[in-house]
Order: sequence, then C-alpha cells, then structure tokens
Amino acid sequence: MGSSGRPNPGPLSIPNILCSRASIGAAMLMVAFCEVCLVAGAQAQQRDVTAERQALLEANKVLQEEIALAARPQTYLVVDVAHGLLLLKARGVEIHRLQVLAWRAPEDRPPVGLFRLTARPPVDRPKASPGEDATEHPIELGDMPAEYQLVLEPALTLAIAPPFQDHPWLWLRGLMRGWWTRAVSKGSSSWLHLTLSPESARSLAWSVTEGMPFLIGRTTLPERADKSQATK
Amino acid sequence: MTRITARSTRTAFSAAALLLTALAAGVLAYQFGGPREVESRVLPAESRKMPSLSRLRAQHAALTQQLAEQAPAHPYIVVDTARNRLYVKRRDEVLLDAVASTGSGTILDDPEKPARQWVFDTPRGAFAVQSRLTNPAWVKPDWAFLEEGTDIPANAAERVETGILGEYAFGFGNGYFIHGTLYTRLLGKNVTHGCIRLNDEDLRAVNRLADIGTPLIIF
Repeated sequence: MGSSGRPNPGPLSIPNILCSRASIGAAMLMVAFCEVCLVAGAQAQQRDVTAERQALLEANKVLQEEIALAARPQTYLVVDVAHGLLLLKARGVEIHRLQVLAWRAPEDRPPVGLFRLTARPPVDRPKASPGEDATEHPIELGDMPAEYQLVLEPALTLAIAPPFQDHPWLWLRGLMRGWWTRAVSKGSSSWLHLTLSPESARSLAWSVTEGMPFLIGRTTLPERADKSQATK
Repeated sequence: MTRITARSTRTAFSAAALLLTALAAGVLAYQFGGPREVESRVLPAESRKMPSLSRLRAQHAALTQQLAEQAPAHPYIVVDTARNRLYVKRRDEVLLDAVASTGSGTILDDPEKPARQWVFDTPRGAFAVQSRLTNPAWVKPDWAFLEEGTDIPANAAERVETGILGEYAFGFGNGYFIHGTLYTRLLGKNVTHGCIRLNDEDLRAVNRLADIGTPLIIF
C-alpha cells in the first residue's frame, strides 16, 4: 500500500477537537442540550414531589376524618374518585366496594370533605293488604334506580348514572337532571357526577341510609415521586 | 509562533463561548421552566410552612395505623341485605359465609289505625349483639295477626309461639333478631319482616363464633 500523499490526521486529541469549529459547535449544542434536559428533569421531579405532597395532605385530612367516623357505631361511605372507588365502611373496616367508571366535577376538581346524605333515593314499596302475606312481593336490588341524585349536606349533589353505551336514555336523563339542578341552584350547590355500572348504582342506592356520612377524598397515595428525594 | 498564538486565542474564545452558552441555557431553562419549590425566597410564606414529605408520610403511616386499630379485634358479623348473605369475619378472614333471608321492604297498613304502618326492612347500619336466647319463643306482634287476617288477641299468652325461630336468637335492638327458620327454601330471598334468618347449621356456627357485644354491620 502506497502513501496517498496527504498528511496523516493522527489520533483524535482534545486540542484537535477544540480547534475544529464544527466540533466546537456540536459540543456547545450538546452541553446546552444536556443542561436543558437536566433542568427539565429536575423540574418534572419537583412537580411530582408537589403532587405527592398535595396527595399526602389530602389523604391525611381524609384519614383524620375517617378515624373520627370509625369511632362511632355507624356505616359510612368513602368516595375516592382519584382511585375510582366507593368504599362502604364501618369501624374502619371495608364491607363493600363499588367501582367508579368515570367522574366529572366543576373544573375537574372533586370536592374534598365530610358530607351527610339528606335522603335515600325514592323507592316504590309494595303495600300488602290485611290477610295477605306482606313479604310475597319483596323489593329486590333490581327494583332500585340506576340513575338518581343524592343530596348531601353541606350543599353537594352527587349525581349517579350508568355509562352512555349501556343505557343511553338513563345517561341522557341524568345529564338533563344535572343541568336542571344546577340551573335551579344557580351555582349555590357544588356537584360531583359519578358513572357507575347499573348494578353498582343500584347497590349504592340500596345500601345508603338517611344521615349517612359521605367522606369524599383521596384515601390511597400515588406512586412516590422519587425515593431519593425523600426529604426536603 | 503567530499560528500557535492565533490557535490558542481561538481555543480560548471557543471555550469561553461554550461556557457562556451553557450558562445562558441553564439560566433560561431555570427561569422559564415549570413551578419549583427549591428556593424559599420566591415562595409565599404559607408554602414555606408546608411540612416536609417525610413528615407527611410519617403522619400518613401513623393515621393509617390508628384507623386499623379501630377495626374489631374479635369476630364480627356482616350482613349483605341486597344479596342475602351473612358473614362472620375476623380481621380479613371469613369464618362463616352463610345464605340468609332479610327484610322484604314491603309496607303493611293497620286498617284500624290509619296512622300506624309497618315497613318490613332490615335496619342498615352498625349494631352489636345485645342478647342471646336459647330455644327462643316468638311473641307474635300485631302485624302477624293482621297478615293472617285474625283478630289481635287481648291475652298476651296467645301471642307466644314456640319452635319456629330455631335453637338460638341473637337480638340486636328494637325487636330485631338473627334466628333460625322453618322456611329454609326461602333462604337467599328478601322475605322477612326485618329479622335475619339462617339455617340451623349456620345458626349454630354463629352461636359458636359470636357473643353478646359482637359487632354487627348491616348494609
């Protein structure tokens, strides 16, 4: 192999790289890019930490309320839309669980706090006549409504409806009822709309009682933002 | 010599430009990025008082533990009136899963006294076993005679009926009981006047596991 006549560029060395304009530009861009990535990553982590802090604050508030509720002989409902759960509980023990398929609230912020149910959903109870077995035509779970509103105190309307694809008519009725309620209350009452399966909606209507406490808020925590950033 | 000096100058310029660009990028990204909480000077006073994550987590663990301590330590009874099931549980362990019969939810009006009405619901809520009777007798209330279409007896002794409530009856207030039944084919249905019916075997199991004071949760 003969020589080409061009000088051999030799192995790459730092002075050579620095002397090349293209290399300098590339290095500058790379450093800038790395720095932007690092700062953006740190800020994303910071946002996660803030979100976790908010979640912890809310969960702790809900837990404090629940400890007070569990100390009394009563059943209560925990509404955790963040995890799509309705938990019927007593003495801190979960006795029944229903799944929330979807939810809506003003500005996508569900209310947080302790509420009380003012009235159960209305049910048509069969009447027996004297001389007739009153238990012959009982009310069953299937007789409960799948679309209804629960009015809570302080002012909050909990609207329950099945998904549109399952029961378009009931879904539409729920929508109309929600609009009407908000129009009548003129914004004085907050609202939370929960989409439940028809079975879950009926089960909820069956289980709630007048005066039952409804504890709305997060009960479980999201994934930890970053275990290395445990304290600040 | 001149070439070497020129190259050194260019190198120094390049290094300085590189450093400045990197610094400017960092400052820009930091200034116009998302929210941050690191520096306390720019935060309002309220935010600075926020407890640390570790403190919040410790508080959460302590509260969770406090709530767990509220759960009954001994067996407790859960009755699902929608599905007509009775469970005896200890913590998360199910000790008994029994088919029951609970209230029908129907209404009976008193034809003699229009203001009087009975609603045959099993009460929902948290209760406790208040009494335990062995070989209980049923003292028939007024509605039982109205249902049968017979006159309400003046003599209290005529109200007593034996052998229909099973071996045991567990009272949980206001005349409501968990008891046995002769109509076992109706178990699993909402057919009672508010009491909770079980078959003989499950009733014996409840007698073995429950006592006066045992928590009873009905939903």
